[in-house]
Amino acid sequence: MSLVRYELRLLLRQRLTIVALALLGVLTIAALVSGMAEVARQRAAIAAVPAAQAEDIDAVADYVDRTKDAGSAAYYSFHPTWDAPAPLAFAAIGMRDVAPYIQRVRALGLEAQIYDGDTFNPELALPGRFDFAFVLVFLSPLFVIALFHDLVSGEREAGRLRTLEALPHGGRALWRRRTSLRLALLWAVLSIPFVVAAAIEGVSLPVIAIVVLVTAAYLLFWVALAVLIGRLRWSSVANAATLAAAWLVLVLIVPTLGHVAINAAVPVAQGAEIALAQREAVNHAWDVPRENTMRRFYANHPEWSDSAPLGPEFHYKWYLAFHQNGDESVAKRVAAYRAGLEARDAAGRALGWVLPSVGVQGLLTRLADTDLRGRLAYQDRVRDFHARLRAFYYRYLFRDLPFGKADFDRAPVFEDVPGR
Amino acid sequence: MSHDISNAPNAIHIQDLTLSYDEHRVLDGLTLHVPAGSITALLGGNGAGKSTTLSTLLGFVRAQSGTVLVAGIDPGVAPDAARRRIAYLPENVALYEHLTAIENADYLLALSGDRKDRGVITDALAAAGLQERAWDQRLGGFSKGMRQKVAIAVALLREVPVLLLDEPTSGLDPRATADFNALVRAVRDRGTAVLMVTHDLLSAADVADRIGFLEGGRIVEEVAASGTERFDVRALHARFAVASKRLAA
Repeated sequence: MSLVRYELRLLLRQRLTIVALALLGVLTIAALVSGMAEVARQRAAIAAVPAAQAEDIDAVADYVDRTKDAGSAAYYSFHPTWDAPAPLAFAAIGMRDVAPYIQRVRALGLEAQIYDGDTFNPELALPGRFDFAFVLVFLSPLFVIALFHDLVSGEREAGRLRTLEALPHGGRALWRRRTSLRLALLWAVLSIPFVVAAAIEGVSLPVIAIVVLVTAAYLLFWVALAVLIGRLRWSSVANAATLAAAWLVLVLIVPTLGHVAINAAVPVAQGAEIALAQREAVNHAWDVPRENTMRRFYANHPEWSDSAPLGPEFHYKWYLAFHQNGDESVAKRVAAYRAGLEARDAAGRALGWVLPSVGVQGLLTRLADTDLRGRLAYQDRVRDFHARLRAFYYRYLFRDLPFGKADFDRAPVFEDVPGR
Repeated sequence: MSHDISNAPNAIHIQDLTLSYDEHRVLDGLTLHVPAGSITALLGGNGAGKSTTLSTLLGFVRAQSGTVLVAGIDPGVAPDAARRRIAYLPENVALYEHLTAIENADYLLALSGDRKDRGVITDALAAAGLQERAWDQRLGGFSKGMRQKVAIAVALLREVPVLLLDEPTSGLDPRATADFNALVRAVRDRGTAVLMVTHDLLSAADVADRIGFLEGGRIVEEVAASGTERFDVRALHARFAVASKRLAA
């Protein structure tokens, strides 16, 4: 029998090893299945959007077709946007479970619409959804501890250490082999189910390779820590307690304190405050002389300034103009909010260079495009689409063109990231 | 029966060995030579330096001064090379309970880089006195004596020039002690130098060709068996007691 087979046999004869590996396997598979189910649910919701949209437009179109009023079309019709999950999203749900991935927008003020549902939590290191990233970052170190806390001390306590050390090469090759075997088992239990799930989800080979390597590197960090503590020649119980304390500090306490410090150092207003400010500006606009509103609007958008003057009656171009003025009144706040979020994100990523748990979490959500950058990129796509939507309706409103049922077919359609 | 070792080369050569832990001097000018094909027993109380002597021979610790050679190799300089020439039995032979006797032997030989065929292993187990029905049994239910037989079989199979025994007969019943001593003599007769450290004067007197009394980190009295005469245990005890008092004075 080869030495590796002997080591495997000795290892698998230990009940703790079997229980730990089986439990890790079950947790990994459960996390992957849960992530895949969540992503499938989101994809199904996105796939149902066109049919629901057609139904909505049909309902509005009949009314609009009777009045031929582009303002009514702009006011009553919602246009869907969506952020389809990247192939790896199942492994790191990230912000996808707290930030909207489908958003219906109108040609009215955008900021209130964007930040109306802004409830996401930017604290990257706090435990999130039960997904592969959670199992890897938060739980896998505990299994490293289970398999490595008594690597050497267990032999000492069993009275075999001196016999092993008295062998040629002082057992160094033995410890290397045992360490590699345990590491390989943990890595396989995490990686094999992941690779299968990733293949089903159509994740590209380079991304699979990166995740698998990151998994190995993260496990290696904890193995190195366990080996280091094992060198102190403490008892197995003391090793386990020390490693558990290290886990608590490195995975929970320091990342949480780090993000509390980042949040304190980089104060960011709530997104809801922007929505509120925009709404107040819009509400206040009813009391502002319409000429003032239109003057301000034309100053910023001279391309529409040749539009016919307002008559005494209500006109939607005035209504949409003060909505856009409202957006522009909070533009600085929006820029500051975004800069703040990006600064926090950058600080969080910097923390990831010294804290492997934060680094791995950040890397996985980046690869899965479920981090803040992915969220902001979706916002950018919504903004671009909204700008096209405004331009589309403004052409009818400011040129006093009639808007019929068929014109809805000419409305811009949101396009997601190619390939999703 | 005594064994003629007068012309045998020294497999273990220790000369003026000094070793201290912090302020505490554990070995203090220890000189000891164990010729090939002989058994030397090192007796002494707790803290006399017995285990440290073995640790030095195995290259676990390095002496501050003096010479240590195992089959001509300094274990302080080349511990792996020295360990390739040493078989070591600790006081409590703890092997792997989940493996059978044959598997334990095979595994330890593989770890030593000395693999043997199953037939060779079973021959060695038989030579070590382990009954055939125990060969394929897991060690979980083995007595200390049976475990020692497995360990001795491994030592036999490694065919090394030096066998180090740490309190080998502690915890063994008289019958098992006699069996073990017979086995050690058989190893010696193959030309192996055997150094055993022990508290057990009776066992040492039964098996050893020479007995050294270690106290304060050096040998204060050394006695060799002469001709066919075995040691007189009472006389040995008296000599060691006198030596101990002399040292204390």
